[in-house]
Amino acid sequence: MYPDSARPTGRGVGPVSSVIIWVLFLVSLLLPGAASGRIYIDVNAPSIPKFKIAIPDFRDLSKDRSHPELAAGLPGVISGDLDLSGYFRPLDKEGFLDENGVALTSEGINFRDWSVIGAELLLTGGYTCIGSRLEVEIRLFDVFWGRQIVGKRALGKISGLRHLMHRLSNEIIKSLTGHDGISLTKLAFVGNATGKREIYVCDYDGYGVKPLTRDRSIAILPRWSPDGKKIVYNSYKQGGPMLYLRDLSTGSVRRLSGRSGLNIGACWAPDGSKMALTMSHKGNPDIFTIDLRGRILEQLVDHWGIDVSPAFSPDGKRMAFVSNRSGSPQIYLLDMTSKTVERLTYDGRYNTSPSWSSRNIIAFASMKEGRSDICTIDPSGGRLRRLTHNEGNNEAPCWSPGGRYIMFTSNRSGAYHIYLMNANGQNQRRITSGKGEQTSPSWAPE
Amino acid sequence: MGKRVMTGFTAMIFVCAVLFLVSSCAKKQVNISESAKPPVEEAKGETEVVKEEPREEETVVEIVEEKEIPPELVRQVEVFENTNIYFDFDKSNLKPEALEVLKAKAAFLREHPSYSVLIAGNCDNRGTEEYNLALGERRADAAKQYLIALGISGDRIRTVSYGELRPADPRNNEEAWALNRRDTFKLFR
Repeated sequence: MYPDSARPTGRGVGPVSSVIIWVLFLVSLLLPGAASGRIYIDVNAPSIPKFKIAIPDFRDLSKDRSHPELAAGLPGVISGDLDLSGYFRPLDKEGFLDENGVALTSEGINFRDWSVIGAELLLTGGYTCIGSRLEVEIRLFDVFWGRQIVGKRALGKISGLRHLMHRLSNEIIKSLTGHDGISLTKLAFVGNATGKREIYVCDYDGYGVKPLTRDRSIAILPRWSPDGKKIVYNSYKQGGPMLYLRDLSTGSVRRLSGRSGLNIGACWAPDGSKMALTMSHKGNPDIFTIDLRGRILEQLVDHWGIDVSPAFSPDGKRMAFVSNRSGSPQIYLLDMTSKTVERLTYDGRYNTSPSWSSRNIIAFASMKEGRSDICTIDPSGGRLRRLTHNEGNNEAPCWSPGGRYIMFTSNRSGAYHIYLMNANGQNQRRITSGKGEQTSPSWAPE
Repeated sequence: MGKRVMTGFTAMIFVCAVLFLVSSCAKKQVNISESAKPPVEEAKGETEVVKEEPREEETVVEIVEEKEIPPELVRQVEVFENTNIYFDFDKSNLKPEALEVLKAKAAFLREHPSYSVLIAGNCDNRGTEEYNLALGERRADAAKQYLIALGISGDRIRTVSYGELRPADPRNNEEAWALNRRDTFKLFR
């Protein structure tokens, strides 16, 4: 409708301009340090604006109309992804004025019908099913300007439709935010649906849950390798908490460390060549590195106190860990070369579970007055933020591969389930459901 | 347990069990505790299904034990295994009550040198899983070190930590937490 050059330059309210403002805002949130000092910033107050997006049912373009259920099913997956991304607010379909199926291209769309209900973006789509194959075409429009922002076609199997739609969601998110979405990432967690704790894997949005272990013992603390091809975890199937390595392509399981006492909480080095973990075979829980054959490389931390929960920095040069050497559990940073240790957390008496993001922020669980919340802090000790507020216990934070989202466990609904939120604490959404409790999330690349 | 009618089938099991017991006794390894499984040497690849068969065996062993052990000893074993020691939040130091309990346990172990003990350290569910596993380890180790100080050989004491994984009381209140911050004791021979 309007060529780019004809846009009025003085206005900054269109969705595309607000993208820029909002990306700048996000970047400013993540830049290191203007404000230091250990104060909790209330991230509930200034909220990042979300795009209001209308996603009407997709049009069935097949001749035989063999899969009418996909008309709502396909956009449903995208709608879910966009909601979880934290950048979009999918509008309620009840409010849509145009009910007779939306045209795919801008020529057939009455954008006024969409702007009047508050939509800033409109996503239209059509699909064709041939046998077991599925072809989906989507177009994303800026409602204000009536301009197409994204046009994509995807081909795949009907049985893999969630994967196909996740790919399209990522295209939409990438085109509007400039960074990769999380729609194709995977999650490992501990579930006790069978009465025993076992490891499960699923898509990042909680769909497609598959059991990984059937130890019928106690399996805990899954940790995905950086390349997403292996998972280490602890199991009591041979007595105490020993460390096992599961190769996801072959399905083989190998014991990596069966030393007496603890062999727990392994953290992969960023290059995947080794891992740090807590072992107590020498009589006290200390942190060691081992290689992928289970041989000890180095004792990193040797102290009479409890030392657990190693978490490498993205460059592998430092490691966060938890120690109670001060009298209560606090997070410390170890320089891997000089072996010097400095204390990171001072606020409160119980700070544990560090997770170091690829964007160099440390998330952790902080317990105050008997209640645990997720916080983030810079490795310099500055910009301490509390991300959860007055909603049960919140524990075990885990960063997304790109460092923009955090998974964590919370018992805000009664039992423990896994939740997802933006790095600033906004848009908290429950991910896992089903019988029993789900805990101990680990996030893998796609 | 142990008061079942002896049908032909159970009689057969009984005979097998006696044989099993005799051979096991020779090795001083009868395992009367579910959680006292000694670690096996090698991991056996992927464990797919059913590994719980030994349960039948364990039950049978107990039946025989109860017939052979004098009632007084049975009672002492029960008291030993049912008396826990308790800890304060985020602490692994032994409280005065715990010292008394451990003295009694040491006396039993001195008197019955054929018994060994598995100490399991536990925590309440507050705080972090990994930290609590380490804390449970320290709680079990605290009891072990005290028993050693009382003259019991370290070879007869094994420890395992369950962290917050095995609460005695699953509720979420002060009373339950206090019951869950504990060491439990299992005897094996």
